[in-house]
Amino acid sequence: MGMKKNELIKKLQAAFKVEAEERLRTLSSGLIKLEKTPAGEKYDEVIESIFRQAHSLKGAARSACLPDIEKISKALEDVFSALKCKEIRISPEMIDVLHHVTDTLTDLAATPGSERPSVHGEQVSEIVEQIDALSSGKRVSETRPVEKEPEPVKPEVPKDVPHPAQTVRISLNKLDSLMLQAEEMIQAKLLANRHKSELQDVIEMLELWKKDWSQVANETRALTQVIKRGEKPATQEKAALVSASKLMELVESNQNQSRLFEDRLLALAKSAHQDQRLIGELVDRLLEDMKDVLMLPFSTFLEMIPKMVRDLARDQNKNAKVSMEGGEIEIDRKILEEMKDPLIHLLRNCVDHGIEKPETRKKNKKPKAGTVNVIISQANGDKVEITISDDGAGIDVEKVKKSAIKKGVISREEASGLSGEEALELIFQSEVTTSTIVTDMSGRGLGMAIVLEKVEKLGGEMSVESRLGQGTMFRALLPITLATFRGILVGAGEQQFIMPTASVDRVVRINPNDVKTVENRKTIPLNGQTVPLVRLDDVLEIPHRVRASESELIPALVLGTQEKRIAFSVDQVLDEEEILFKSLGNQLSRVRNIYGATVLGNRKVVPILNVTDLLKSAVHVSPMASGVAVRAQEAESEKISVLVAEDSITSRMLLKTILESAGYQVKTVVDGLEALTELKEGEYDLLVSDVDMPRMNGFVLTEKIRDDKKLGDLPVILVTALHSREDRERGIDVGANAYIVKSSFDQSNLLEVIKKYI
Amino acid sequence: MRNDDVNSNKIDWDQIHRRLDEAKAAIERGFSLDPEEKIKVLKQRAKLLSREAERIEEEEGQLEVVEFVLAYENYAIESEYISEVYPLREFTTIPCTPNFVIGIINVRGRIISIIDLKKFFELPEKGIADFNKVIIISSDLNEFGIVADNITGVRSIPVSEIQPSLPTLTGVREEYLKGVSEDRIVVLDVVKILSDPKIIVHEEVGI
Repeated sequence: MGMKKNELIKKLQAAFKVEAEERLRTLSSGLIKLEKTPAGEKYDEVIESIFRQAHSLKGAARSACLPDIEKISKALEDVFSALKCKEIRISPEMIDVLHHVTDTLTDLAATPGSERPSVHGEQVSEIVEQIDALSSGKRVSETRPVEKEPEPVKPEVPKDVPHPAQTVRISLNKLDSLMLQAEEMIQAKLLANRHKSELQDVIEMLELWKKDWSQVANETRALTQVIKRGEKPATQEKAALVSASKLMELVESNQNQSRLFEDRLLALAKSAHQDQRLIGELVDRLLEDMKDVLMLPFSTFLEMIPKMVRDLARDQNKNAKVSMEGGEIEIDRKILEEMKDPLIHLLRNCVDHGIEKPETRKKNKKPKAGTVNVIISQANGDKVEITISDDGAGIDVEKVKKSAIKKGVISREEASGLSGEEALELIFQSEVTTSTIVTDMSGRGLGMAIVLEKVEKLGGEMSVESRLGQGTMFRALLPITLATFRGILVGAGEQQFIMPTASVDRVVRINPNDVKTVENRKTIPLNGQTVPLVRLDDVLEIPHRVRASESELIPALVLGTQEKRIAFSVDQVLDEEEILFKSLGNQLSRVRNIYGATVLGNRKVVPILNVTDLLKSAVHVSPMASGVAVRAQEAESEKISVLVAEDSITSRMLLKTILESAGYQVKTVVDGLEALTELKEGEYDLLVSDVDMPRMNGFVLTEKIRDDKKLGDLPVILVTALHSREDRERGIDVGANAYIVKSSFDQSNLLEVIKKYI
Repeated sequence: MRNDDVNSNKIDWDQIHRRLDEAKAAIERGFSLDPEEKIKVLKQRAKLLSREAERIEEEEGQLEVVEFVLAYENYAIESEYISEVYPLREFTTIPCTPNFVIGIINVRGRIISIIDLKKFFELPEKGIADFNKVIIISSDLNEFGIVADNITGVRSIPVSEIQPSLPTLTGVREEYLKGVSEDRIVVLDVVKILSDPKIIVHEEVGI
């Protein structure tokens, strides 16, 4: 109900803003007319018009719940009414005051709803007083001019800025799109890095090549010497000598040539290095400034708190008041948005579980109304600290321990060894809930664990302090802007993933002989500890890639802390990169084991893994029958290889999956031309090709194959969306072995056809 | 309103307020109609109520739709909810998602998830589709791309031409259908699809 009313008021206020703008404009121009010709013939008409504007403005302000504007408008109306009835006379000083008032009204009306009576209530009454003085006919000189100075609607402008910088309004969408573009520039930076290091590689290759050639030069010289040693050179030897000197020339020109290459390459590498530095600096600065643009003061969030806490408390027959500090502190809008739900959850906890009923509070000699404190403060570095505390019942550590033991999070022995603080930290584990304290799962489906997860995802920290009977304090330390972070790029199954570097305990290479099975689970030794080993692809429920050899070292990432460490084996550890977190969008609101995604320097989109989830999932993972991989390996040697040419990525992947799961070795290409090149270079037993492809279609491809001596007999199966009789005939004419229509495609059909030709 | 006022883009607030006042007064006065008038009104209402709900809402309206092919069927959705059409060249699959989620793509720095509506509607698998296009649809609360084989055109369909369809005719459950046009194009209810909680993926790791 409350929300609906708020929304209605918001709408009314938005409409008011438009209306007020027009009315105030008419009012101003009316005042200017009066000023120019105080006793003109249209005097009455003008007075009547501005009187009506003031009157209507008053009415509109009332319906939009803007009491301050209403009050001022009413005072104005009174003045104009007095002027209309000729009770008072117009004077230049009066006009001045009226202009000032109109300006103040314009300011107020520009942001309707952000009125905070406590902030400028005094000023409003001052303005009203002055106008009243006008209408009561007092001499204007007795009144002080209305001070317009302290901007009543912008209390958050710092006082040491004498003239606030000029501002423009820009829609959030435009700003967001700019921000995205600025973020995309990170790729330019990463690319520049890559180019530099690739050039460096090329230089090293050239270095080795040069060494080889100087070896060749030496050999050639020696060879020449050997031939020369003969006293009287026979004709044969003469000829050899000529060849040798020609060879020497070639070697020398080669060396000169490679020196030239080297110079050019070095120069290129140098400029690539400069580019990289320049682009890096520019991009960093651009991002920094863009982030600054998107900062928002906390007040936009704090404003909703008092009402929310009051409503929550009232629903439970409790009394609670809120005190807040630090609304002027700014933070990245995205962080504020992400933190909204967690903060609301914490506040809910304060009211639900912290603050006691009035009778209990009375018994404990506490003030009847509980207090919830929300304090935002600037912490060291680029961080902001949010503390949310209450003077309620506090958290019963013993109850937390009991709950944790019951849920098997810790053992009884472990529990007895925990300090009070350590035990309190248990409330951040999703398993731990006790009815009297944490997690109101019924609310927004957010527990303390999820609050912690959100904070950590944003690169922050979270802590809790509590004293039984005195209250609880939650503290979150958050970065002011969303920073890029480092991630390890790994390959698992057919895919790549990013693992946030900060969550990785270490990267290890496991000798397969060290893997021991304990209680049906694989483990590895790590610094004297036994750490469980799981496959990342198993945890992510994706198909395995066949590993090259069973004896090779297996790379693995160790995640988690202390006793809870788990090693996740991957196929490859590829790189470590600077990455920027991107959410998966509203439709993928929360995906198991996946946090978000990032775009790499090569424009590839890669999912970012959720470490908290992975550790939980690893406990339940059912290792894929290891026999499958072995069988695939055995079949490896005698695999039949199939080339798939198809331009649509989804069809390509589907065909590949179907053929691979049937045991074929599959290579894919995107058009006919690529297919032809691939067929000429590689060994293939069969071609499955789409007809409708760019550059070279399936018909032409088939024709070319039939014309080729080497490829002539290759079985060709055309798969196509076309299914007219002519098409089929044309397919057969050009020499395709079989013709499958996509609309009636099914996988057993394809496999049967393939079997026929192999 | 005076004539010269009509041309200026000013809003006549006084008139609006006057009308509101009149309406308020009318409400306060309450209803008193003579019996004949009453029956007439009631009959009119009954007639309206007996028709399809949708057609009352959008009487005489035109629906601008984008037509597309999805696995050999023609569909249409209202262009109002389409933010853009994007070629599908590459995408990244996301593990641990339902099978109707194809993956994600990068649209100028923003990550957009893409969905196979056929799988979402639980339509029988038929043939292989060439998903070459992504139609990005969005509302205030949700945004994602739906894949299509091809976009066949944009056109206006008079709302009155859209017939309610039997689900057996299209296979798509009635809740996601706006109807079928005269030339048998299935018009999807994009608002329903966008706001369907079933399309939102929100999964925690079970304990």
